[in-house]
Amino acid sequence: MAKRDVIPHNEIGRREYITTVGALGMGGLAGCAGQLGGDEEEGEFPSQDIEMICPWAAGGGTDLTGRQIADLAQDPLGVSLYVTNQTGGSGSAGFNAIANAETNGYTVGITTVEICTISHLGIADVTPEDLGAVIQYNFDPAALTVPEDAPYSTLEEFVAYAEENPGEIRVSNSGTGAIWHLSAAGFAQQAGIELSHVGYDGGSPATQAVVSGEVEATAASAPEVAGQVQDGPLEILAVFGEERLDMFPEVPTLQELGYDFTMGAWRGLTVPQGTDEERIGTLEEGFTSVYESDEFQSFMEEQGFGLVYRDAEEFGQFMQSEYDRFGGIIDELGLEQSG
Amino acid sequence: MPSVIDFFAQGATLVFEPLALALIVVGVVIGLTMGSLPGMTATMTVAVLVSFTFGMEPVQGMMLLLGIYGGALYAGSIPAILIRTPGTPSAAATVFDGFPLAEQGKAGRAIGIATVASFVGGVISVVFLAVLAPQIATVALAFRSPENFAIAVFGLTIIASISGDSIIKGLISGLLGMFLATVGLDPNLGVPRFSFGVEVLTAGIEFIAVMIGLFGIAEGLARYRAGIDTDSVEQDLSTVRPTLGDLKNISNVTFGSGVVGAFIGAIPGAGGDIASFVTYNEAKRWCSNAVPEFGEGNVLGVAAAESGNNASTGGALIPTLTLGIPGDSVTAILIGALLVHGIRPGPGLFESEPGLVYAIFIGFFLVYVVILILGLVGARYWARLIDFPSMYLWPVIFLLCIVGSIALRGNLLDAWVMLGAGVLGYFMRMDDYPLAPMVLGLILGPIAESNLRRSLQVSGGSLEVIYTSPIAMTILLFSAISLFLPVIRRRIRQYRM
Repeated sequence: MAKRDVIPHNEIGRREYITTVGALGMGGLAGCAGQLGGDEEEGEFPSQDIEMICPWAAGGGTDLTGRQIADLAQDPLGVSLYVTNQTGGSGSAGFNAIANAETNGYTVGITTVEICTISHLGIADVTPEDLGAVIQYNFDPAALTVPEDAPYSTLEEFVAYAEENPGEIRVSNSGTGAIWHLSAAGFAQQAGIELSHVGYDGGSPATQAVVSGEVEATAASAPEVAGQVQDGPLEILAVFGEERLDMFPEVPTLQELGYDFTMGAWRGLTVPQGTDEERIGTLEEGFTSVYESDEFQSFMEEQGFGLVYRDAEEFGQFMQSEYDRFGGIIDELGLEQSG
Repeated sequence: MPSVIDFFAQGATLVFEPLALALIVVGVVIGLTMGSLPGMTATMTVAVLVSFTFGMEPVQGMMLLLGIYGGALYAGSIPAILIRTPGTPSAAATVFDGFPLAEQGKAGRAIGIATVASFVGGVISVVFLAVLAPQIATVALAFRSPENFAIAVFGLTIIASISGDSIIKGLISGLLGMFLATVGLDPNLGVPRFSFGVEVLTAGIEFIAVMIGLFGIAEGLARYRAGIDTDSVEQDLSTVRPTLGDLKNISNVTFGSGVVGAFIGAIPGAGGDIASFVTYNEAKRWCSNAVPEFGEGNVLGVAAAESGNNASTGGALIPTLTLGIPGDSVTAILIGALLVHGIRPGPGLFESEPGLVYAIFIGFFLVYVVILILGLVGARYWARLIDFPSMYLWPVIFLLCIVGSIALRGNLLDAWVMLGAGVLGYFMRMDDYPLAPMVLGLILGPIAESNLRRSLQVSGGSLEVIYTSPIAMTILLFSAISLFLPVIRRRIRQYRM
């Protein structure tokens, strides 16, 4: 059973790419140097190395995909790209670093769904308004997963059971306020049912809690539960994406079942707000050609990351609508803090 | 289902590649070097160098750290024998018979015995680890939040037995650690605690940074205060290879001490220092007719202490890997190192990363093979290190502490946390506050808290969920028993007097 944790939001995964001893520290220092030397010539962009800030730890999904893009983008952009990990605060350390970087286009941020949730949760002040969108390159939908021997084997029965027994179904998630918690809560809101949410320390313990029977269901990304679904005691009732997953083609989407609801973790690239439109355009063009390359597509598929693309304009609008939507859900859950 | 053989094969492919093997040797050499220097502990060395493994594959990083761990615990015996100063606290019991042997001009013989005993003890503990850990993990996989809470409580009660002379000071240290761990996001509600509106603090206090400070900076400051001096030695170390007669003589004691040491190491929080004292005392009791008497230069005493302290290493990895609860302070840092890689030690590790787990088993065995070879071949060179003026070494270590803490997350805050912890640790040491309880508090506090609260969340607020779990109640019973361990230890100490 070769099971790998591919957990987009909290970065439980394995580092594979940096091999230089102490690269983290050195990378951080180099990052500062790169920003200081931002006195580039007019007209030609890009003419110097581009820093990509990753708000999540090295070896996690965001880091892995970001490094892949950094590697492949050297060709179309004609300059080197290097990734620095600035982690902590549910991503806020990195998001702030992106937001506060120079607006010369030489700092690109690998940005995750948390940019749309952490300010509502009172963790940090940084929001999508502090960033300019470049492209979105990934979306991993939530998957509602239950034991095979549960009293419900379809989403319909699940909802009916929850209606009859409000609050009785306990749903584990990878952490309170994390995307999978919000996904389960958002769905409950949409379906008009009451679920109890229990936060765990990561996706594996949350999945394990369903297996051990501590809770009745979990909301996580499909790769996280895949091991326990393929040859284990769990089954997926529905995925929260727009399309069915290649990994589980028999599992319906929420939309097919009559709920106009999609939610999951996503990743994209951004720059500090106020960056020159023309330079964003150059970056967008370069990164889009990376996205379309066979190499990137097969990398994402091999690693189990969902491929969804939005261009700069669409991604900007998407982040804004996600930001508003999460505000509503977090409000309803009573999670947000007034400072 | 893949079998154990598949897992071993998977682990072997990760270990038997040039870089991993080289890192084992490098780790052992670093461990031997630092362990040979009085005052440089295994914990400190691992804490200072852990950040430099983040750029490696998890398996490679673990190989380096395990090499340091085993190497330093062994090499602590060299200065213990030669200059009556244990290189690491774990070698304190080695002094009792090792130094008298050196005084009789038999230092080479003592070091040879220590080397072989360390090897045997280490290998016994690795076998223990490889046999027991997967079983324990299978059981622990069924643990729910109440059981995990009980396990964390059990770990915390160990504070009583590692507190040294003052339980009160140990408790203060432990509670301080638990308090520091509450800074950051509330694990169950997701709201910031004790962040005082400072955004970087919502990420919490990075406990590896605290450990680097406690064991690197604080240790160094204390050394400077105590005055850095070294005794010069002249010993004949031309033959450290033990004779067949000696080997036969020590075989029973060495094996027995290895088994006992591995068990003691497996108790959370009890490391090589406790293990070596216990095995030394046990050996003394078994061989009460030994000539010469224990304490007057009997090789059995050296063998018992060294086999015991090295056996504690594999033992300490058992709770570390299976439950995510550190067996001693070095394994506490190993947990942190794995977490940085996004790998959470615990029963799930045996399912999600069997290759890594079995690579650790195999790698740790190889560590002891390398120790045996390098120890027998090079003991006379390590012995020379005692003369190395450590005043030149500490500044380098301070620098490594700073670089290492920044490298954790690319966050300058961690360097300040590290320095703060270093200064705090220095003053705590000056007043005889033990530091190990603080580390236990830092790691176990959040596990206990979140699992207790999660248990109550799941049960709708009823404590029934805990007292109706037979496993949880059994573990809590053991916790109560472990509170009495200090009393038992005190009796052992009286016995020795």
